[in-house]
Amino acid sequence: MTESAVVSAAISDWVEAGKPAPTVEVVASVALEAMRRVGLRPADLDAVISTTSAMPFGHPTFLTTPAQHMGHRLAGKMGSNGLQVFNVSGACASAAAAFSIADSMIKSGKAKKVLVVGYDNSPRGFYFSFNSYLDTDMTIGYPLKVVGAVNPSYWAMWARRRAYEMGKPVEDIKELMAIIKEELSKNGALNPHARYKRVFTVKEVMESPIVDDPLHLYMISAVSSGAGAVLLADMDTARRLTDKPVKVAASAVGGPLHNEPSPRLTYFATAGGRRAGKPFYEWRKPIEDAYRQAGMGAEDLDFAEVHDTSAFHVINWIDQIMGWEREETDRLIRGREFGRGGKFPINASGGTTSFGEAVYAQALMEVYEIFTQLRGEAGERQIRKEIKVGMATAYGAYGSYGAIILERAW
Amino acid sequence: MSQAQKKVVPIVEGLFTWPSDHPRLIGSRCPVCGSVQFPKSSVCNNPECDHSRPPEEILLSDEGTLYSFDVHMYDLREPFDYHKAPYAIGAVELPEGLIVIGRLTRTDGLKIGMRVRMKVDKLYEDGENIYLTYFFEPVDGGERR
Repeated sequence: MTESAVVSAAISDWVEAGKPAPTVEVVASVALEAMRRVGLRPADLDAVISTTSAMPFGHPTFLTTPAQHMGHRLAGKMGSNGLQVFNVSGACASAAAAFSIADSMIKSGKAKKVLVVGYDNSPRGFYFSFNSYLDTDMTIGYPLKVVGAVNPSYWAMWARRRAYEMGKPVEDIKELMAIIKEELSKNGALNPHARYKRVFTVKEVMESPIVDDPLHLYMISAVSSGAGAVLLADMDTARRLTDKPVKVAASAVGGPLHNEPSPRLTYFATAGGRRAGKPFYEWRKPIEDAYRQAGMGAEDLDFAEVHDTSAFHVINWIDQIMGWEREETDRLIRGREFGRGGKFPINASGGTTSFGEAVYAQALMEVYEIFTQLRGEAGERQIRKEIKVGMATAYGAYGSYGAIILERAW
Repeated sequence: MSQAQKKVVPIVEGLFTWPSDHPRLIGSRCPVCGSVQFPKSSVCNNPECDHSRPPEEILLSDEGTLYSFDVHMYDLREPFDYHKAPYAIGAVELPEGLIVIGRLTRTDGLKIGMRVRMKVDKLYEDGENIYLTYFFEPVDGGERR
């Protein structure tokens, strides 16, 4: 099987939704920047894989054609020799799915140079506030209409359940989440692309309003606008294009598990009682798949970029990446060993909490960061130890997941 | 329009029996593999099932155990702004092997593991209708049996 590698990556600044306006030009500028860095032109590409929801402002009909066909529009915009175009959807894990398709195309020999682009322009507040989103399978929209359950409502239930299962008061997990926000915001303060470039102290986080108890406002990521582009190539081509190719050791995609007990975003019910599997195995499974693909385990990872739509997600990702006792995760967090100088740096980029979530582009921001960190090009926010292998994870509604392992190849 | 003339309707049809003196959640059970779902579905969600016959409608137990809960602290935007904060949402484990989310009737004195019972009550009203939804109410004392 051919090896695949990331040869270049670029991201825009992450900004408040609507700034800049949602245009294909934003995507094109980031895509062309990634190509320019390794001397490629659109004519050199074999395929473009695009992912976007390009959320409109309260106008759901806009959701359909322009967003769904961003890949084709981009190819038309920057010029194309009739290259293969795919438009991919998987909620907040969309870009991880797009990346995995690109990786598979190269590993199978079906393409040699593939551009992955992700773009979003996410409005403030909660997405599912449109009656017109309601569909007959009663997932998205209905729990909001009937129960008043927004995304953080689910996360709050997970956080409270974890504390309960560990025999701890809910204040305990609240404190962990405040520490996470403070530490990640220190990284975000150093990242020129981040939207929130300032430190949020534990005290500030705990004093911010409670949104969904136990989640306070500053424990929840905002939504943003942003674009990312990542170029993949087979390893032979990669070595010609750059002296620092980053090998794609694994790219796994996960979907909903029928026996997952943890209340799943946008659903009314999950499995309970005898039917229930291990909580959060839905998150763990793509990570295990990635370990299998790479022939690696948690012990081989030096750092990770995880999808932190809330501070609870960071806790859960550490639980699932490590596969160890939850107390170990808590110790890592309290000891601040997930900072840039720690044993296992998490979100040296600042994470979703510092960027805000440009939903369909988010995993490309993570890949960009791992690529940049592995090449030693992260400047002030460079991780302060030798790093060879990093993992990116993605999580989204409907039960959508991704896990990517990238490795230095020089 | 006077209060008496307003129609009393479920917020969404098909989630619970109505009208009824003893409303229950409407789910489905697969006659092949026994998997239970809520809301009811015409397709079994067990990937190991041979799907040879479609699920059948069943009424779910009206008592369960609180698996977890959230206290939501701010009002939602239109058109769902009738959910007035603060309100609590529970994930409730039912004997049929399901964890179902629903509004709880109160925001204080909640504990994971407590017994709760389903009831149908008013969610809100507009000029024409009174809208009902299902709630879970802590059973007296609320402690596990």
